[in-house]
Amino acid sequence: MTSLFLINILMALAWAAVTGSFSEINLAFGFVLGTIALYLIREQVGTTAYFSRVGKAFNLAATFVYELVLSAWRVATIVVRPKIELQPGFIAYPLTVDRDFEITMLANLITLTPGTLSVDVSADRKTLYVHCIDVPDPQATIDDIKNGFERKILEVFR
Amino acid sequence: MSSLDAFADAYLAWAVKASLGILSVSFLIIVYRIVRGPSLPDRVVALDMLVAVGIGFIAAVGLLTGYYLYIDIAITLGLVGFLATVAFARFILNRGVAGDATIMDEVKDSIRRREAGQ
Amino acid sequence: MSAVVTILAGTMLVIGALFALVASIGIVRLKDVYMRTHAASKAGTLGSGLMLIALAVYAADLAVATRALAGVIFFLLTAPISAHLLAKAAYEAGYRPCADTKEDAMAEVFPQKD
Repeated sequence: MTSLFLINILMALAWAAVTGSFSEINLAFGFVLGTIALYLIREQVGTTAYFSRVGKAFNLAATFVYELVLSAWRVATIVVRPKIELQPGFIAYPLTVDRDFEITMLANLITLTPGTLSVDVSADRKTLYVHCIDVPDPQATIDDIKNGFERKILEVFR
Repeated sequence: MSSLDAFADAYLAWAVKASLGILSVSFLIIVYRIVRGPSLPDRVVALDMLVAVGIGFIAAVGLLTGYYLYIDIAITLGLVGFLATVAFARFILNRGVAGDATIMDEVKDSIRRREAGQ
Repeated sequence: MSAVVTILAGTMLVIGALFALVASIGIVRLKDVYMRTHAASKAGTLGSGLMLIALAVYAADLAVATRALAGVIFFLLTAPISAHLLAKAAYEAGYRPCADTKEDAMAEVFPQKD
């Protein structure tokens, strides 16, 4: 996984050396060419996992940006209402991911998604306490996170 | 083509002025929250937001003057603001756990507000 | 081409400023510190990030764009952390949420002290 990424960078450097220009754009172009070359031989050297993982990471990043815009829009529509009627609440979210890095990632993603803000992790790392700005149905919010971000994080990092 | 260019320049000048105006209004609104309180965490949240508005100001001024070194200043301001917020959070946590008199008063205030149904 | 880029940068600048305005209105209108943190961490981050990206788009220079992108990623990483730390510190210090808060799963972990 990491070695393939290093090979990709080496290919970019080789491209820059061959073409005789170490400008950023040429390096980036060499990186893209190296990726294409690795993609062409994916069956022979077993780089299929590399590409599916990179694809999933991009998918996670795209979801993240989309959710951030959505959540900012939702906060915007909430605060410009003439009368703010909300049911905020703290909910306990049972964690499936257990590594520190994954919990950090999930907590950060939860904070930047619509209407939720991670507040605390329990001492045994099984529960994440989340503050929701409007939570008429806690179970629905928990299911949303479980089927959205947590599954994507598991796909990328497992 | 040149008429489109002229329109784009006029539009950009208008956009920078409009965003500077909007940011000034939000600056004043946030200052209201800082003065009003009612508690220390409220003020810290408002100060954190003030840094975000400051970064917006820097970006708008950078567009106005075409002086791109402002981006580095914006990143530095963001770093300092983040560190300040973290330090304030530690302060609130430590003083709150230690039972600081001022913070305890504010906590009692918040409990009273909650029971009064506000 | 450059006219289109200029118009795009101007539009992003105004949209970012509007998000910052909405975040500050949220800070004033929402009821307790936890809800105010929502407004500051989401709309505020998006607002300042959009304005930095507008500057990068207008500059159309790779060095400037890289720095602006690094700055935006930095804000995206730090905003949730500061929001989380503040909310946690406020709750552990004992600040109660507003009366509309019906669900409070954290009340059993940090019982009210007085």
